[in-house]
Amino acid sequence: MQHAQWIRGAWILLLLLGLGLAAPVAKAVPSFARQTGMACEACHTVFPELTHFGRVFKANAFTLDNLKQVRDIDATKQELLSLATLPPLAAMVQVSQTWLNSPLPDGTGGPGKSQTSTVGFPQQISLFYAGKVAPHVGAMIQLTYGNDSGTIGIDNTDLRYANSVVLEHERSLIYGVSVNNNPTVQDLWNSTPAWGYPYASTNAGVSPLAGTEIDGGLAQDVAGISAYVMWNEALYGELGVYRSAKQGAANPITGAAGPLDGTTSNVISGVAPYGRVAYEYQWGRHNLEVGVYGANFKLLPGGGSVGTPAALSGPVNEFRDVAEDFQYQFVGDEHLFSLAGTRIHESMRLAASFAAGAVTNPSDDLTTIRVTGTYYYHRKLGAAITHFSTTGSVDSGLYPAGPAPGVITSANGSPDTKGWIAELNYLPWLNTKLSLQYTTYTQFNGGDNNYDGFGRNASANGSTYLLLWLTF
Amino acid sequence: MKRRLVSLSGTMVLGLGLGLAHADDIDAAARIAAQRVAVGTCATCHGPQGHSLSPKFPVLAGQHAKYLVAQLQAFKAQTRGDPDALGYMWGMAAPLNEELMTSLADYYSRQTPIAGPTGGAALITRGKDIYQNGDSAAGIPPCGGCHGAAAAGTDDFPRLAGQHVQYVMKQLRSFQNNMRNVAVMHGVARGLQLNDMEAVATYLQALGP
Repeated sequence: MQHAQWIRGAWILLLLLGLGLAAPVAKAVPSFARQTGMACEACHTVFPELTHFGRVFKANAFTLDNLKQVRDIDATKQELLSLATLPPLAAMVQVSQTWLNSPLPDGTGGPGKSQTSTVGFPQQISLFYAGKVAPHVGAMIQLTYGNDSGTIGIDNTDLRYANSVVLEHERSLIYGVSVNNNPTVQDLWNSTPAWGYPYASTNAGVSPLAGTEIDGGLAQDVAGISAYVMWNEALYGELGVYRSAKQGAANPITGAAGPLDGTTSNVISGVAPYGRVAYEYQWGRHNLEVGVYGANFKLLPGGGSVGTPAALSGPVNEFRDVAEDFQYQFVGDEHLFSLAGTRIHESMRLAASFAAGAVTNPSDDLTTIRVTGTYYYHRKLGAAITHFSTTGSVDSGLYPAGPAPGVITSANGSPDTKGWIAELNYLPWLNTKLSLQYTTYTQFNGGDNNYDGFGRNASANGSTYLLLWLTF
Repeated sequence: MKRRLVSLSGTMVLGLGLGLAHADDIDAAARIAAQRVAVGTCATCHGPQGHSLSPKFPVLAGQHAKYLVAQLQAFKAQTRGDPDALGYMWGMAAPLNEELMTSLADYYSRQTPIAGPTGGAALITRGKDIYQNGDSAAGIPPCGGCHGAAAAGTDDFPRLAGQHVQYVMKQLRSFQNNMRNVAVMHGVARGLQLNDMEAVATYLQALGP
């Protein structure tokens, strides 16, 4: 009985959290350099962190170009076509080695242990189309092979239209629309989840149970459209909505890509609103951004199968994410420093899961805080340190204990996870990064010692990660 | 386009501004197009009306049009080789045609220059002395001989008044090591010590129009 309850809890948990927690994170795209003729340093401090110029380039839909174009115009000189003679393609390879602090229990339930180290060769390979598509339209489309899935799939994608006008007193106003598949992937600062630190991390470690939806929980699982304005390259505002756009899901009756029914899990009911306001102030080589962002996702659990039907209607689980963020940058020729942080507060009203007996409380909350400081010397040698913390309501249904050593469990039903990431970086060239990253947990799934009830400590999930990251 | 060497006498020019359209030839449509590019693209680095916020990028407000065109041509021809020219301006200048170069240069030349922040008094005094009188012992001629007593520049020699300290120092070092290959400035900067560079640059930054 206890085992069945655990299985059900784990299943609901997967439904609630989605599969986005292990989603690959940020990238840098050399095709932008090919298109603009400008070096990486124009848009990045060190990839993938954007400079002010990089943010404005993105807001302008990646359309600044200096390549020879195939053009067409009409009788009024209106541009009908402006297409680069060479497509803005780029690639990325990540090769890694991960050492876990402590081996995992053998999945067979026996006394054996897993290996502690994992080679990722490659951990990830990506192909990008990233650049101008038409005079005011640009795209960043990423296809990724990951060694965890062993397949190629769609990764972060952002299609944009943008234009600008000159206002009184020669202030600029950029306005545009983004169609994308990951809330915050369209954002301009590296303090928000999609492009936030850590820019790369192991996919052979142990991930904690809890994360907010806007923090990658729905990455590549949704489609959003948002309209934005940027005034005077300083004040940014955006409003949009997201709907589910499942990959690999099919209607069981037709076998076609849709419509979705109750056999699909975590489907957004209606549309989920998304909003963002940020202000960036520049002085000298410094700039400081402060902002807020948020979204409200109402998810239909679904997740039924032919044998156990679940209607894609009725009660929903609502996740209201409200977040604040900041980013300070000092961009010198010799020294570069940045400090970025975000605090995401998620209010959960879990009517659907509570009715199904899958959670203990009808409502929970979760708060994630991340603060990262980064330093580079001549864009060659760098170090970064991050403090991360996720805390929230105790809910033994949502964060269940396991019947046997299971690692991704919580003996006390708490999601509380805290720790540090320290990283050293060396870039012999601007598009080649060698990183050594150490992650340590002071608390994991609600405990520091014996968090799983079977003697595993939070520190056992720490890891050392060596990464070679090539973009070309 | 031929390049011509530069001399202190001013008979040769830093730039390549031959056959330029005169500012009076710039029509309204070209002015509007230049303003749009300046506000929408150039201002991201060079600031509103050419008053750059970051000292990495030069102040362009009030800079001479002919000098600006010469630099844009040098970027486009990839003959100006200091690091930021390669990293930023080779790409930015690549699609510019003569008309846009001329109208952009005209736009910035019409903006009102202002004085930058004031530095230490001792540095300014030393910088003023070098700027006005040179340092004969070190083989440094007075800068004002070409750039003007008030550092307002001429068609062929850039305005330096109000320019960022760090930008001026970076250019002087680029002249020194020939990354920015201008013979006359290589000769001038060759004997400049770092503290003297800083002094001259600090003096210049605080100068108003």
